[in-house]
Amino acid sequence: MIEREEYQQYIKKNSPKSPMVRTLVAAFIVGGVICCIGEAIGDVLKVIFKAMTEKDVAIWESCIMIFLGSLLTALGLYDKIGHFAGAGSIVPITGFANSIVSPAMEFNREGVFFGVCAKMFVIAGPIIVFGTVASFLVGLIGWFTTL
Amino acid sequence: MRTIFFKKPIYVKSGFTIVGPKEADGNFGDCFDVCLKDDLWCEKSYEKCESKMHRDAITGAICKAGLKKQDIDFMLAGDLINECAPTALAARNFPTAFFGLYNACSTFTEAVLLGSCLIDGGFAQNVTCSTSSHYSSAERQYRYPLELGNQRPPTAQWTVTGAGCTVLSSEKPVLANFQVYEDDIIAIDKNLNIDEKTLEKYKKSIEKQKKVINLGKSNINSANFDKTNNDYGNNPKYYVKIVTGTVGKVVDLGIDDESNMGAAMAPAAFETLTTFFEDTKTSPNDYDGIFTGDLGRFGKQTLEYLMQKEGITMPKYYLDCGASYYEPEQKTFQGGSGAGCVNTAFNGYILKNLQQGKYKKIIVLATGALLNKDTPLQKETIPGIAHLFSIETEEP
Amino acid sequence: MEIFLNYLKVFAIGGFVCMLGQILINKTKMSSARILVLYMLVGVVLEVSGAFQYIKEFAHSGISIPIIGFGSNLAKGALEGMKEEGLLGAISGGLSAVAAGLTTAITCGFVFGLISKSHSKKI
Repeated sequence: MIEREEYQQYIKKNSPKSPMVRTLVAAFIVGGVICCIGEAIGDVLKVIFKAMTEKDVAIWESCIMIFLGSLLTALGLYDKIGHFAGAGSIVPITGFANSIVSPAMEFNREGVFFGVCAKMFVIAGPIIVFGTVASFLVGLIGWFTTL
Repeated sequence: MRTIFFKKPIYVKSGFTIVGPKEADGNFGDCFDVCLKDDLWCEKSYEKCESKMHRDAITGAICKAGLKKQDIDFMLAGDLINECAPTALAARNFPTAFFGLYNACSTFTEAVLLGSCLIDGGFAQNVTCSTSSHYSSAERQYRYPLELGNQRPPTAQWTVTGAGCTVLSSEKPVLANFQVYEDDIIAIDKNLNIDEKTLEKYKKSIEKQKKVINLGKSNINSANFDKTNNDYGNNPKYYVKIVTGTVGKVVDLGIDDESNMGAAMAPAAFETLTTFFEDTKTSPNDYDGIFTGDLGRFGKQTLEYLMQKEGITMPKYYLDCGASYYEPEQKTFQGGSGAGCVNTAFNGYILKNLQQGKYKKIIVLATGALLNKDTPLQKETIPGIAHLFSIETEEP
Repeated sequence: MEIFLNYLKVFAIGGFVCMLGQILINKTKMSSARILVLYMLVGVVLEVSGAFQYIKEFAHSGISIPIIGFGSNLAKGALEGMKEEGLLGAISGGLSAVAAGLTTAITCGFVFGLISKSHSKKI
């Protein structure tokens, strides 16, 4: 029988790989288009609500993008975009929305409490935890430096 | 010795398959008995649908064998979901002794081997061996939610939505057509003590369920069935019997990528195959059909490489059920996998070809990757297992 | 013309950021959750180092729509809170800066999770 190391080498060398060019182009185009949609929403908001500050526009922009990502997920379209685009639809904020809504929909059948609510953070949980801890550390270190 | 030579002939009485819509479009699409148009089959969850498919595959196989539920001595069944829940839920509809089995995707061959042992030992006359798997229920348990927008890696396999059942018997099967009607499959949990209103509701639900199923082209009742030109007709010409079997052992060569099951299972398949050839003193060329379970395209290539290294060339007609299950344009990458893969391929394609005399002496081997969702996270490698049985046909 | 150039910048930077993620997926087989966490931490680092502001002035949504923007908001909120309210601000600032987005995401998750079920897949 083949040796362990030799077999692992063989598998590593011969396993089918993702087609680089196609996936990179797809990720580039879809990612770019999603960012452009966000920018367009921001521009429209600026035109409609002239009094809005730059900061508020940015917040509204990301909220609307999150809503759109969730809506596409609920309609069952986001996974098809993701199948084509890969990171192009994971990295934008809509991908974050997708990672919250998709488990909630998946575990809908297990009820509201332990299905929708508990399983909602199966994928997005690490993002929220890492984000919260990182922001706390940044604030804490900043506070120490001002002392 | 790990190879079991059965002393009595163990006949395959019948096989019955129910598959989902994607499988019906695949390569074996013409050979299945029932194809669903919707993979929920009027149920509320995918697990419930899987359980129903499993139940109805067993019922269909019993009908097709010309038997009744009471004639079955033991049921051997399994699936992929936690604690074999869909199987157990299906088994509660039968008044039969029940073994729940789990060996990942090789559960079917395990069931057939154990069933043959039961018959060979004289403990049973008729035994059902069944397994089921469902893409959507397996995906949510082993991987990610269906709606998550991620890309499946190119080494990934597609869990087959399907259930199948084989009836093994110590008696020769009757070489005749046993018609299986829609009513036989669907209307089995008929409760006689229900009031009018519930009965009305029940009838309506059955009508609704009938709309979702397509009786396969192979079924005698199907309108477009052509007796003369169809190889997959229900007119068996040969007796099919199981002669030997090799029980696999768990082999682990340190593959830790859970999306590359073919690589994890190929060494186990290699180990079982070489042991079988050694024990029976045969070579691949003594068989006119070699079918492995769900290694996938890359796994098949790996197995061929491993055999080549040992000096055994796999013949051209060697077929991997998983790799051949879907058409390339169905974008499953490596092909099918899951407990239903080799099962539906065997009961659909292989068994019908055996009964028609296209194959005389074949090997069926199914492989399984033994992992759960947590073991890869605990930095465990993935062990594989493979069970094998060989089949011969007998002229009447 | 200026608008066109602006969108071109957004498209190029946004696409480039996503393309880097795709290279990571292809090469290391990272899952989507790990990609998201990594990018968010990159955002935190970019904000703290001060680079984020320059990229944002150049590319606008091209850098703030990817989850990098979420990470930078977290860090920015914590630093601003620290300046205004001291230690308490450092603790509460991060999450309050992203509270709107987080609330939208969780509410959408709850509502859509209740009214919609996962659809069966064919590809």
